[in-house]
Amino acid sequence: MSTVLEKPGRRQAGRAPSGERAQKQPREKRPPRPQRAPRPKRPYTQGEETLAVFSSAFTMITIVCLWMAAQLLFLGNLSQDRAQGLLYTELRTQLASLTAPTGPIVPVGDPVAVISAPKIGLQQVVVEGTASGDLLAGPGHRRDTPLPGQEGISLVYGRGTSYGAPFGDVTRLVKGDHIEVVMAQGRITFTVLDVRRTNDPIPPPPAAGEARLTLVTAEGAGWLGKYVSAGSAVYVDAEAKKAFPAPAGRPGAVPESEKAMANDKGALPLLALALGCLVALTLGVIAARQRWSTALVWVIASPLAVALAWATTDVVMRLLPNLI
Amino acid sequence: MKRALVKKLHKASLLATAGAFAASGLVLALPAQGAPVAPGWSETKQLTRDTWYVGAGEFKPFHESRSVTVSVDKTTNLRGRQPVTVSWTGAAPSGGRAANPYGENGIAQERPVLIMQCRGIDDPTLPLAKQLRPETCWTSTDFQRSMTNKDESEAIWTRDPAATDAEKTQTSGLTPYPDTSVCPTAGGVNPADPTASTGSSYNHLTPFVSKAGTVFPACDAQHMPPEAAVGAAFPPAEVAAFTDAAGQGSVKFEVRSDVENESLGCNYKVACSIVVIPIMGTSCTLPTGVSPGQQDPADTACASGGHYPIGSASDGTAGDLAVSPLLWWTPSNWANRFSIPITFGLPPDTCDVLDPRPPTGFYGSELLAQASLQWAPAYCLNKHRFKYQHNQMPDAAGFQLMQNGGAPAAEVSSLHDAGAGDPVAYAPTAITGFGIGYIIDKPENKGEYENLRLTPRLLAKLLTQSYLGSAYGRGHPGMGANPVSMNVDPEFTALNPHLSLTEQEAAATVLSLSESSDVIEQLTDYIGHDPKAMAFISGKPDEWGMVVNPRYRDLDLPTPEWPLLDNYIPETTDSCRQANPAVYFTQLAAPVTRLLTIAQALIDAWPNVQTKCDTDVSTTPPTYKPGRVNRQSYGSRFMLGVISLGDAARYGIRTAALQTKPGTFVEPTLSSLGKAVQLMKQGKPLEPFTLDQGDARTSGSAYPGTMVVYTAARTQHLDPADADKVAEFIHISTTEGQQPGSGNGELPDGFLPISKNGVTAKLYDASQVAATAIQAQFVPATPTPTPTATPTSNPTQDPGDTTLPGSEPSAAPTVPAATSTGPAPITDDVPAPMAATAAVTSPMGNWLLPVLLGVGILGGLVASATRVALAVRR
Repeated sequence: MSTVLEKPGRRQAGRAPSGERAQKQPREKRPPRPQRAPRPKRPYTQGEETLAVFSSAFTMITIVCLWMAAQLLFLGNLSQDRAQGLLYTELRTQLASLTAPTGPIVPVGDPVAVISAPKIGLQQVVVEGTASGDLLAGPGHRRDTPLPGQEGISLVYGRGTSYGAPFGDVTRLVKGDHIEVVMAQGRITFTVLDVRRTNDPIPPPPAAGEARLTLVTAEGAGWLGKYVSAGSAVYVDAEAKKAFPAPAGRPGAVPESEKAMANDKGALPLLALALGCLVALTLGVIAARQRWSTALVWVIASPLAVALAWATTDVVMRLLPNLI
Repeated sequence: MKRALVKKLHKASLLATAGAFAASGLVLALPAQGAPVAPGWSETKQLTRDTWYVGAGEFKPFHESRSVTVSVDKTTNLRGRQPVTVSWTGAAPSGGRAANPYGENGIAQERPVLIMQCRGIDDPTLPLAKQLRPETCWTSTDFQRSMTNKDESEAIWTRDPAATDAEKTQTSGLTPYPDTSVCPTAGGVNPADPTASTGSSYNHLTPFVSKAGTVFPACDAQHMPPEAAVGAAFPPAEVAAFTDAAGQGSVKFEVRSDVENESLGCNYKVACSIVVIPIMGTSCTLPTGVSPGQQDPADTACASGGHYPIGSASDGTAGDLAVSPLLWWTPSNWANRFSIPITFGLPPDTCDVLDPRPPTGFYGSELLAQASLQWAPAYCLNKHRFKYQHNQMPDAAGFQLMQNGGAPAAEVSSLHDAGAGDPVAYAPTAITGFGIGYIIDKPENKGEYENLRLTPRLLAKLLTQSYLGSAYGRGHPGMGANPVSMNVDPEFTALNPHLSLTEQEAAATVLSLSESSDVIEQLTDYIGHDPKAMAFISGKPDEWGMVVNPRYRDLDLPTPEWPLLDNYIPETTDSCRQANPAVYFTQLAAPVTRLLTIAQALIDAWPNVQTKCDTDVSTTPPTYKPGRVNRQSYGSRFMLGVISLGDAARYGIRTAALQTKPGTFVEPTLSSLGKAVQLMKQGKPLEPFTLDQGDARTSGSAYPGTMVVYTAARTQHLDPADADKVAEFIHISTTEGQQPGSGNGELPDGFLPISKNGVTAKLYDASQVAATAIQAQFVPATPTPTPTATPTSNPTQDPGDTTLPGSEPSAAPTVPAATSTGPAPITDDVPAPMAATAAVTSPMGNWLLPVLLGVGILGGLVASATRVALAVRR
């Protein structure tokens, strides 16, 4: 949450809730505000009252939907970008000091490898864990598989459209393309076998001593699927003839929430807390407006509102399928 | 040939005197009602000794004759180390009784009944290699068979009327007689100087001819078969048994197969005999050419009748040679022999040797071991049946293996949790149980104690390590005033009076299992149903002030695995123990992994108490050797162990009567097992029967250690071929396998036969139902959802349910493309490695963003429109 608050761009974001009740003259010019000069000449009639409430409700719906969409498509990029930056530095330090994790048990959320595919401009730090929340920071390594580059089949999940869409372009990979992985045990280059969709045959398991890397993401169909829709899982299999040894002792399974297209219902309590905070903020604003000037309330409340909205959306994301 | 022999023996058994059975110490060996009479053997013979006495100034012949009857209770299908009861009447009363009559310890007695095991049959028409001779009779030391370096006065074998001229010389018994390069002390010729005097000593060798044909001269310990080495793996079996003043006696004689004694080499192909020689004394020729008083010392010695009074105990001096068991091989003694032909059952590895087919393994309970030993050949030697193999392991492990598809069936004795796996059917296969085996000698050499009675509280005291064991245990906090061992506990002595009150470590413990077992579960359940025992465990002192070991206080019962909780390391000045500190009470208990190990420890009276600590001071620093205590000496044995009733019957180990109601003690007999079966109830069809120990307590006549061994197998997803085999096994074992007997496929002693009628009928019915269910592999009416079914057909709100066949990491190790071994059991994994990628979809993923954007834009438009409308209206 603290990282979120540091984000640039909250200024623009702060604009959104302002449309409704801000009486003060905003600096920006966007909302075509109705003329403020004639202060309420007369009380609303019954019909006008209804119309006003109707309008306010739709404004709220618009704000919520567009904020959500904006966070999925644009704002999330920012936080994902920043998280990647921090993870990259962390993993780089660990690789240099030979403390990078080799498995079998790695704390969830820790960086485990850097995966890059020059052809599609992919370079991402892979974190441990594939729950919806883990994938907000970058592609996630499924915990019951060997780390990328180790012997066996390792699965790496990545989001296809939201939060930077790190795997948005992996379906453009074709047979023979290279995927490079840097992890604790070294650097290894995978050769893409194919992109695999529903009902395509699964390639036979790799021979002993070989590594398989399967990138998993989601894509949609039709023109919507190009940008905003991601409903079905898609796989990219890549193989390396040499592999690093995989330590024994991996967990045999992962929780439901870490499987493909799964969501993390464990975030519900957190969501309740976040929504509760939003309600509290609203009440706080109403209370503050009776004592302080509108300008002061605006200055104090808007950053809080943006931060809370941002954090709430991050929690909501955990309740959504992890690959979108 | 063997068949004919068995038939002949069967006939003989009908003639067997009832005494043979009465003498049997085995409760369970008694034939069940309607069961065929156990194949026994009996013979009456006129035994003679011809010697002389001096009367009226001259030597007069003295003829002694006795009609002796020898009976043996079992002679067919014996197994290695199985004891048979040999009893006799009419023999000469013995004198100079030895505390331990086995092996060399028995040779100082006078007129005992010598019992040996010999290879061959006593039939002069057979070729020499198959004949019984002194040279094929086993003794565990050389001086039990050869007389070397004896003075002429001791050479009484030369006075035997039947002795040949060669046997009257100074060196006899083996031609050519070994020279001094082979036998330096046997009076042979010195090869370096053949003309030198060989001395005045008399020597007679009785060589031993091994199965392989090797001749061991037996002139000293170096020239004996390897099995006769000092400290050999097994204690001596040959016994010089004692005859009472009435001429009667009986003893348990342990037979050895070629597994235990390869040189003797008895097995199912090599016929052997038990040779019983009631020693009357060597016959003597009348001295000639001398007047009475002038005869040779050897003549005098030969005519001796012994100096020990009848029925006396040995005072440490050797008995007179003429009536000792040492000269069993002289022609006159040898002529008095009884030769009882015995046959051995198929060895445990028969099926591995004779049947090349791969075995079908049934895994689990050791209770079934003795039955499986007899059952297995009935399968593997029959080409129309599969090859049955019983692999012993803890019940729970066997059950788990069966559930995982690692085995077609498991042998268990109680309900095990099938969890989320396939449903399992339990087919009753055998009724047996556990017993508290014991070997306890009455003090002053009065024989073995036969009526041990134990209460649950005594067992609780033993298991909770509440007896101190020795002075080392006295320092244990919280129980220093407890009795040192059970035999001095007033509760025990009240039930079992007149036993030795010498405290000993082995009497402070009961040898038990270290592994998880249904046996321990039932034993602890039995203890747990006794209020007094539970009060003791919960910390209440008994009437004499004995308290539970504080480490075991409030232990939860029942438990399938008895824990070793004590951690007391005694303080001692003993340097060996200081160098090897160990938890003393754990050393006392020293549980083992198999019931058979416990049975063997009881046969040998060799407690598994690990408190011995030897110091070898010859090295610097001294070497310490902690380990197992010595075998208990004959006459002061006291040892207890948890054993299976099958082993108890096979090895003739007595089992204790356990208290049910206060004051009522129940021994394991076929009828008390049947009473317990009567009390058993089945929860649901296909489930095991359970014996409520509370019911057993109220009934009073049911043996609380009764256990049913079940064949448990899955009723779904079992390979059809395996299912057929399991069903076949259940059918065969509950019909033909329930015929009591010692032959292939028959039910050994220690098991209550399951029959279509009577108290066991419900078990029979249940087994047939289970066999049908297992063979049918039916699919129950309520279809169980399989995880693979969901993803394609039914995209749900929660796509997390979907699995990813083939891409799933769990599928990767279990579906190796190249190394698919055998018919893998059907599992929920994708059967073929080249399966298609399953659909993993999420409607929410598809529509979330479009809907968000659409609703957002629409909402914005509506909001703007209403705003505009409002403005216009105003």
